[in-house]
Amino acid sequence: MAAIAEPTTGIKKNYLTAIQEALAEEMARNSDMICLGEDIGILGGAFGCTMGLQDQFGPQRVIDMPISEAAIVGSSVGMALNGKTVMAEMQFIDFISCGFDQIVNMMATYHYRTAGEVAINVTLRGPAGGYGGGALYHSQMNESWFCHSPGLKVVVPSTPYDAKGLLKACLRDPNPCLFYEIKQLYRDSKIAEVIPDEDYIVPLGSAAIRRPGTDLTFVTYGQNVYHCLQAADILAEKGYSAEVIDIRSLVPLDEQTILESIKKTNRVVVVNEAPKTCGYAGELVARINEFAFEHLDAPALRVTRLDTPVPWVQPLELFVLPSVEKIVETATRVLRF
Amino acid sequence: MAITASQTNPPQSNLLPDGEPLPSSQLSKEDHLEILRQLYLARYFDVRLIKEKKRGRLRGTLYSSHNQEAVLVGSLFGLKGTDWISPIHRDMPAFFMKDLRAGWDNNDRIGLTIEQVCCQVWGKQDSPGRARDNWSHIGSKSKRIIHSTSMLAGTIPVAAGVVYADRLNGGDAVVLTYNGEGSTAQGIFHEAINFAAVHKLPVITIVENNHWAYGTPTNLEYSQEDFARRADGYGIPGLIADGQDVFDVYDKVMMAVNHARAGKGPSIIECKTYRAYGHGDHDDDRAANYRPEYDAKATYKDDIEHARRDPIDVCKKKLVSLGFITQADADRHVCEYKSADKTKDEDFPPEVVAYLKRGVEYAVKNPVPPAEEGGMWVFRE
Repeated sequence: MAAIAEPTTGIKKNYLTAIQEALAEEMARNSDMICLGEDIGILGGAFGCTMGLQDQFGPQRVIDMPISEAAIVGSSVGMALNGKTVMAEMQFIDFISCGFDQIVNMMATYHYRTAGEVAINVTLRGPAGGYGGGALYHSQMNESWFCHSPGLKVVVPSTPYDAKGLLKACLRDPNPCLFYEIKQLYRDSKIAEVIPDEDYIVPLGSAAIRRPGTDLTFVTYGQNVYHCLQAADILAEKGYSAEVIDIRSLVPLDEQTILESIKKTNRVVVVNEAPKTCGYAGELVARINEFAFEHLDAPALRVTRLDTPVPWVQPLELFVLPSVEKIVETATRVLRF
Repeated sequence: MAITASQTNPPQSNLLPDGEPLPSSQLSKEDHLEILRQLYLARYFDVRLIKEKKRGRLRGTLYSSHNQEAVLVGSLFGLKGTDWISPIHRDMPAFFMKDLRAGWDNNDRIGLTIEQVCCQVWGKQDSPGRARDNWSHIGSKSKRIIHSTSMLAGTIPVAAGVVYADRLNGGDAVVLTYNGEGSTAQGIFHEAINFAAVHKLPVITIVENNHWAYGTPTNLEYSQEDFARRADGYGIPGLIADGQDVFDVYDKVMMAVNHARAGKGPSIIECKTYRAYGHGDHDDDRAANYRPEYDAKATYKDDIEHARRDPIDVCKKKLVSLGFITQADADRHVCEYKSADKTKDEDFPPEVVAYLKRGVEYAVKNPVPPAEEGGMWVFRE
């Protein structure tokens, strides 16, 4: 696990502010950076992530795009081909499917098919995730589509500190990155924290241990980090010590931090809110079997969304998504194996 | 009463400011001779590859540009080296013909070399993409050629982004994208041109209407006769060029280039032509079934207007009429109205044959890339 700068004193900032700051600071330090997306200029973005950016940097560098995710992605690729750094916003990550071909066939493969001649420095970011009553098309976690397309880096921050540091890392990485923002966390004051005033990044491919433990490892990311922390509290009352690893970066994955944890705990549960079949949780379980097989005292299990879309009204939505109760239940099975 | 296509306004015929002469009228005698030479070169490239494939020396599919050479030569001839192009599968000669006017042996010209393109066709390591993707899926950032994928019209937004960035940097580059008429039905065709039109980006969309989208005729692709009408929806010019006449293509493209360079935005140019063979060489036999007029052994026997006028013949007639060549000159090397298997090397000027021979010999000797390269370059480290 890479070393991270300690937060300095100052006021607490939420996840949304962290993203706003990352974008404004990178635009200021890199005059070759362009931002584009739907409603990001005049309006400042559907959630306000780009608030004030167009006033500061002008409409040439902060572009209000026609409603076309495919044109947003494709033109971002062209700008990057011609030397620019690009941040492209998906208004909701669910809409990214409209730009799918441009992402997986045009952008992801560019470096490979040009034998390294062209690297595409584009970061696609957008609000993602359920638990907010957003219904089928405003609640998705579709990150596995892109983890399954070689050439893309995929990042899911769960804290304001990470949101800022990982977004900066993506914008400075020469490769295309997908940056999943957890919209339920944007204005969540419970996770607001003091973040450094000075420039920092969180390196891609470094996991964070959110809670140390000795009996079982939770491997998770996004808002499920908080569900796992709650589950760890409940398990502690029952006498079990659970470690919570927030992987933060899905591609590349910090296997070492997971391995070191499993060497200690010998038991692991993977948690994410994407559908079960072919989801990233399944990938984590498979990898853990590959790199930590001899350290496991029980099968690695996963807690995921059911294989359903995300329904709208709350009892239905919570029924299909991972809950603290389901996580505790699965962890207990693994602990008693 | 229903309004039919013929009752609506015809597409815009030209973009020439009042009193300005046709761009082609400004071309010198040497330019005219060079254009003919380039037509020969594009034709010979195609003929030679078809023969190499039939002798079993090539793998992969060939997408012939036979009978469509005037579109390539006419559109490329007036570009600056610093302009960008985005060719697709039926435009293979464009990769080495970009900036060819700067000299066939000029190593500083901003286009790929014949050796590089032959290495790509043969799957050898000196291909610009080290033979990682096939056929036309190459390009070069330094030579300003956008790398295509198999997804039709997919490079138009990329082209728009490229010139957006160029304009931001103070450049004056235009970009020419090549597309079959079939690809105009893709959503991205519309989405990208719409964006380009909003920002008046110098994106020129060439629609090579060869009347067949693989096995589907134009009347099942679009409800109107002229694909140039696609431009109407964006408030941009849509021009029609005679795709068999290299000078008409040159005129229409240069009008669009001048329009774009003046900051007036994108345009669409439909070049009406006809596909000589099947979609790819794997399809030559089946094309006879879905295209009743088709005969792979005698391409020009059919009665389709655009197939009856070989672009090389059309060009020669113009040069004879202008007095730049004699009829005897025109008759010295006759490849026109001949299918590939009936064409001999003597049907082309010797410098054309020699130029390609150089590329082929280089490619044949060039090694295939080492196997482990298959696992490389997923990410920039």
